Amino acid sequence: MSTLGKRIRRADARGRVTGETLFGGDLVGSEALTIRVIRAPIAHCNITGLDIEAARAIEGVVAVYTHEDIEGTNKHGLIRRDQEVFVTERVRYRGDALGIIVAEDEATAQRALDAVKIDFEALPIIENAEQALQSDAYPIHPEGNVFCNKLLRKGDAEKAIAEADFTIKCSHSTPGVDHAFLDLEAGYAELDGKTVVIHAPGQWVHEEQRLIALALGVAVENVRIVQPATGGAFGGREDISIQIYLGLAALKLKRPVRIQYTRSESMVTRHKRHPIEIEYTLAAKADGTLCAAKVLITSDEGAYLSTGPAVLRKAVSHCTGPYRVPHIWADGRAVFTNNNPTGAMRGFGAVQMAIAYEGAMARLAKALGMDLLQLKKKNLLQDGEPITTGQTIVISGAEQCLDEAAAEIGWQGRSYESPEPHLRRGFGLSCICFGIGYGDSFPDASRARVKFSDAGKLEVYTGAVDFGQGVHSLAAQIAGHELTVHPSKVEVIAQDTHRTPEAGSSSATRQTVYTGNAVRLAAAELRQEVLDVAASYTGLHWDELTLHEGTVVGKQKESICMPMASVVRLGRERGYKLDITSLYKPTTIAGGAKDGLSPRAFITYMFASHAAEVLVDMETGEVKVERVVAAHDVGRAINPQQVEGQIEGGVVQGLGMALMEEVIVSEGRIVNDGFTDYIIPTIIDAADVKAIIVEREDPEGPYGARGVGEPGLIGTPPAILAAIGDAIGVPLSEAPATAERVWRRIQESRNGGEGERRRASRPSNVVRLRGGK
Amino acid sequence: MRDIPHKAPTASGDKGVASDGTRSWRLKCSVNGEPVDVMVDPTQTIFHVLREELRLTGTKGACLEGECGSCTILIDGKPVTSCLVLAPQVQGTSVTTVEGLADDDRLHPVQDSFIACGAVQCGYCTPGLVVSAAELLEGNPNPSEEEVRKGLAGNLCRCTGYTKIIDAVLAAASDDEEPAAAGAEP
Repeated sequence: MSTLGKRIRRADARGRVTGETLFGGDLVGSEALTIRVIRAPIAHCNITGLDIEAARAIEGVVAVYTHEDIEGTNKHGLIRRDQEVFVTERVRYRGDALGIIVAEDEATAQRALDAVKIDFEALPIIENAEQALQSDAYPIHPEGNVFCNKLLRKGDAEKAIAEADFTIKCSHSTPGVDHAFLDLEAGYAELDGKTVVIHAPGQWVHEEQRLIALALGVAVENVRIVQPATGGAFGGREDISIQIYLGLAALKLKRPVRIQYTRSESMVTRHKRHPIEIEYTLAAKADGTLCAAKVLITSDEGAYLSTGPAVLRKAVSHCTGPYRVPHIWADGRAVFTNNNPTGAMRGFGAVQMAIAYEGAMARLAKALGMDLLQLKKKNLLQDGEPITTGQTIVISGAEQCLDEAAAEIGWQGRSYESPEPHLRRGFGLSCICFGIGYGDSFPDASRARVKFSDAGKLEVYTGAVDFGQGVHSLAAQIAGHELTVHPSKVEVIAQDTHRTPEAGSSSATRQTVYTGNAVRLAAAELRQEVLDVAASYTGLHWDELTLHEGTVVGKQKESICMPMASVVRLGRERGYKLDITSLYKPTTIAGGAKDGLSPRAFITYMFASHAAEVLVDMETGEVKVERVVAAHDVGRAINPQQVEGQIEGGVVQGLGMALMEEVIVSEGRIVNDGFTDYIIPTIIDAADVKAIIVEREDPEGPYGARGVGEPGLIGTPPAILAAIGDAIGVPLSEAPATAERVWRRIQESRNGGEGERRRASRPSNVVRLRGGK
Repeated sequence: MRDIPHKAPTASGDKGVASDGTRSWRLKCSVNGEPVDVMVDPTQTIFHVLREELRLTGTKGACLEGECGSCTILIDGKPVTSCLVLAPQVQGTSVTTVEGLADDDRLHPVQDSFIACGAVQCGYCTPGLVVSAAELLEGNPNPSEEEVRKGLAGNLCRCTGYTKIIDAVLAAASDDEEPAAAGAEP
């Protein structure tokens, strides 16, 4: 029986509940030397002297390495190699590394770190995009501080805005956010002959292998990554972290080495979600039909490029979400500052845009005196209509998701009854879309190898990294489905550059579609080969045979029953390999240089809708999110339990972004660099979350499935912010909606009277809605 | 499917990573029912001793400042964040770590329930959570959802959104044989 669509147990869960599973920091062989990193003294300076002699002289210090010890390019970076492994002269942010100490133990390494003397010439620290854009701002990189522009031009937005009945103008700012995965950067490396084997967590082992080899000047085949169990990533492991340090030390010293970041070091060094300022103009006819959007996006890119241009493109290409907007003018620019580089994080530009366009929609509904649900329904894309970039959407589950979310939260009959006089209730809705994969003509591909062992065990080889989302379980389920083997009996060999084929990164909500398809293709071909072997042996046509629980049986003749081990033995004797590697590599088309439009920016899009219910304390500004409903058109849920898990987890991360998470930086130094000050949601903060799975099968996906990684987060902040706005009577423009910000907004509205007018106008609305059905 | 094999941690603790390098304290306690009698650095935490000296790496650490709960262990049956407890403070006590929950191959009901309900994603918070949840059910075999939330308030999880964790604890507490989400093995 196939397990597609079934809630199967994940095979990798057992070691995690018993504590047996080893993560990067658990590889604690006592013979390993300890690495510590010498960091920049301030966020922006030129290094004029680095005295490591005293550190080197300490007993137990085995080596101190700086840029002078690196034989390769000494550079890394996902899109552009613009970040030095060890700074030669210019420091651009606090997390820049100047070198590493390798010592016999942690305590010695710390003493050596304290003995390093750094001389430097301070440069002006550019703290935000506004400062970076000043004409006399100090250039952080040679080309200046604006490094990237992305645009989108569709129709004539200016004219459409001028002719519209209603125009909403608003600005939003979204915070820098930390991934805050629990499993800190930690790893282990040792030599195997000439090859350095690095056990460290990342998101794309083959790209990391190439970057390490380039930086260190060693052959690619002499760098092997074997990724250990990895505790979360959320985009935060896309940029290189500890891998090059481990590789360098192991290669130089020919001894095993280990490294373990602290939470502070992890936060100070790692890239963040882009803080983005968005000016949004949304125009509509009197009946609520959207006419045009004008969008200006400014993102703080921090000190290095990271994946910044891709994030900006995603923001621009998602700037009107799942709505039908015929005229669009959008400009995005990314600006260097001396803050942490900003790059990939779950939501990747799309969540910032969702906050902006849904903020504008909530304001528009109010201006029109129209129910938010009706305004959205009127404008959501239907099957066959073009999305922001001009791409035709084949399957749009947008409206179905909205209907499901609204019904579950009880939108029509919603009651504003409050348990206490100082508490006010509010409801919000959001609709979002998300393009799956890298898109925009990037050569995005996944390969998978599916074979039988000599003993007849089904094996899947994939380079895809699993940091908790369950792609390995998915691979087992798909291969098992094609070959009628229960996933618990499928062996998955994964995330090892030397044993597994390249699958691209585990990011961009892409692995279900990309690696899912690659596994499906390979497994289907293997199934055919198995039947061919059995046919040639039995003398039947292959179509007269089938597979049942991993055994070849006759469809008609029940006497025929060939165990897989026999098929494999007979097949291999006759030259059948029963070992298939397949490639899934669909094409996408880059946005036009002059208009950013593309008939196929992404292979497919997914749609979702969230509904939120909050209680706001009008005296303190505190917000309690009572319920979040998230309806997602996932195409087909291969394992509904995992799909729900992704949605629920995304919702609570989104709740963190909406209410509490914000990286606070002063002069390039992160002020809240630990879990005491950088607050993420606890089980008490987490709302009652209801995930609703909508299944409109996608022609691109394996068995109709789409990805589910990011959208659960994306839809949440806009729904919660809308609910808070509903409760307090005025919209919010800044995330996170901390108690202080909400309280200030309440005071402003009281002083300006806007909030009271909003209150007064609502009852008629409510009455109409309640009478609706 | 399985986790990628790694060189297992070795048991030889002859080279210290202690903060002052001196193993001047004789720690005597029991860990998961086994007597422990080792010389340790008294300025080190029991978290460090468990992982680095006793090679019990199931206890995780994500903040080392008592915020995340990943390092939760039981001392005489009470849950503590082991990153804040100095080794001498457990002298003469009975320590239980995640490795001590299962009875040989038979998982603790909470562990089994976490798997069945899909409460494990990356799994890094899981050891701390199952220890906290096991202790919660020990004292309150039939908690309400609210009591589960209060009982697990000290354990952060970044992946699951907690929904399936609550499901798992309630399912482990209930008399039902298997939670609905169990999924049949063949």
